[in-house]
Amino acid sequence: MRRRRRAANALYASAGILLGLVILVPFLFVLSASLQTESELIRRPPPIVSPDPTVDNYEYVFTGNVPAAYASRELLRGTVTQDVRQIPKGLRNSFIVALGTVLINLVLATLAAYTFARERFRGRQAAFFFILGSRLLPAVAVAVPIYVSLRSLGLLDSKLGLVLIYSAFTLPFSIWVLTLYFRSLPGEIEEAARIDGCTRLETLRHVVLPLAAPGLAAIGAFSFLFSYSEFMFALFTTETPHAKTIPVIIASVSVNPDASYTLIAVGIVLSMIAPIVFALAFRRYITSGLVASLTRG
Amino acid sequence: MATGGAVAGQRAHSRERRFGRRGYSWLTLAPALALVALFTLFPVGYAAWTSVHRHVLVLQDRPYVGLRNYQNAIEDPLFVDSIKSSLIFVAVAVPLVTLVGLLVALLLNQRVRGFAILLVLVLLPWAIPTVSAGITWRLLLHGDFGALDGFLYRIGAIDEYIQWLSSPGLAMASVIGVHTWREFPLPAILFLAALQTIPPDLSEAARLDRANAWERFRYVTLPHLKAALLIVLVYETIIALSVFDLVYVLTGGGPGSATTLFSWFTYTATFKYLNFGQGAALSFIMAAVLVVFIVVYMRIVRVREEPS
Repeated sequence: MRRRRRAANALYASAGILLGLVILVPFLFVLSASLQTESELIRRPPPIVSPDPTVDNYEYVFTGNVPAAYASRELLRGTVTQDVRQIPKGLRNSFIVALGTVLINLVLATLAAYTFARERFRGRQAAFFFILGSRLLPAVAVAVPIYVSLRSLGLLDSKLGLVLIYSAFTLPFSIWVLTLYFRSLPGEIEEAARIDGCTRLETLRHVVLPLAAPGLAAIGAFSFLFSYSEFMFALFTTETPHAKTIPVIIASVSVNPDASYTLIAVGIVLSMIAPIVFALAFRRYITSGLVASLTRG
Repeated sequence: MATGGAVAGQRAHSRERRFGRRGYSWLTLAPALALVALFTLFPVGYAAWTSVHRHVLVLQDRPYVGLRNYQNAIEDPLFVDSIKSSLIFVAVAVPLVTLVGLLVALLLNQRVRGFAILLVLVLLPWAIPTVSAGITWRLLLHGDFGALDGFLYRIGAIDEYIQWLSSPGLAMASVIGVHTWREFPLPAILFLAALQTIPPDLSEAARLDRANAWERFRYVTLPHLKAALLIVLVYETIIALSVFDLVYVLTGGGPGSATTLFSWFTYTATFKYLNFGQGAALSFIMAAVLVVFIVVYMRIVRVREEPS
């Protein structure tokens, strides 16, 4: 019996290692590729670990100094493309758009969710259903109409346009999660505050919000991850580096036949830093938010 | 003290009564509702309008053309092809993602030392931008310089590099594979949460009753997973029908039209040919199909309004 338990544990452990590898290897690969020079990468087969790693590729992306390895080889010079110089701008745009979306979510979703959680009024059910249903409307189905709408509003190729779209897409989920969360708080403290003379908004601000930090963390993380990583609408609606977000830039760099793989890899690594940091930092809130929202409608 | 509070309370409440309860409620909902409506109701309505007019960017007049856009769409052979591709994709990818998610959840539910790290790692493929995951795998699966081929070659499994992304059959398989890598964390987390609601006495009792692993799974574990299973299946179907980012960075719809899924087809029809009327018609068709799934989903989860 004990031998069977030990064998089972060994099996689980090796399966776990396999899972870890399957998850990590692509990340490690792209990280290693970004630290290599092109000549190493295109060798067949490519080396597992670069013999001499270099951060020249990163330096090029941020400063425009062509890496020494490329400068010397005339043939490979063509693969150092100007496109990748847009990466830092893309990162900045993505960040600004994501933060804007998070802010709108935090404010509007809190107001709406508190009302859904604590108020009773006619039309509440309908409004709630509308919010929930629209959350599941997939992007592709409304992409074209939204493009045409934005064009008539003059909001194409703008960070503001993106913030508005992303907010519209993340608000339903945020409202839902926060409503669940507010409902789970015992109402006595709020009642006490109301009796003591607080208005609903004051109660919300001074009493409820400090207690709702986990819920707010969850929706903040989700909105950030969604708007930072969103690709399709950014692709449709942006044209200039002024508004292009990082997913659009690395996608266009990757389909550029003149771009070297090492530079593409740099783009990928840079694009993953913020989401990974956010996901790791807010992991617990993301998990509980996901479970709560998907299993309770 | 108490009187002071009560007086203040009365004053505040009379302030609010002027606004009215209903007024407050709708006022706080208005910004959120307006924003959401602006980008759901309005575009859908606009799409309905556009889809029955001839709306091509480079042409000046936009006459009403009835259902001609829809007719053109359905008669386009690529339309049927893309629906077929999407159906194949959904039929394979959704069960695959669900199965992998379930297996991972079952694994992570075992109390093995060091699995805490895995719980952290498992979120990563889902957290990064889909295009980043896609481009990474594109580099890995590259027919000439890919590391996967390099690895297989190195260990002697293959003599020649396999064209993962440029041979028609493999291309679809590759897209499905990358999609699975990217999506499995979500079902895994859901199933894991469901598994952790199983009371340990139940499985202990089953074990004492000499039930083998399969019987334990079937009678103890599975009933607790049914709800999560249904939700995962419908949700992942909705996701699978909307796949776009991966197609863009992995295959561009190719080779030929092997991986032209419906969303990709809508994209090229609209933005490569600038035929917005056609694009709107396609979007509408897609929205109609998805609404069916959404309704199914909401009914499954049975949204219940609790009185505050």
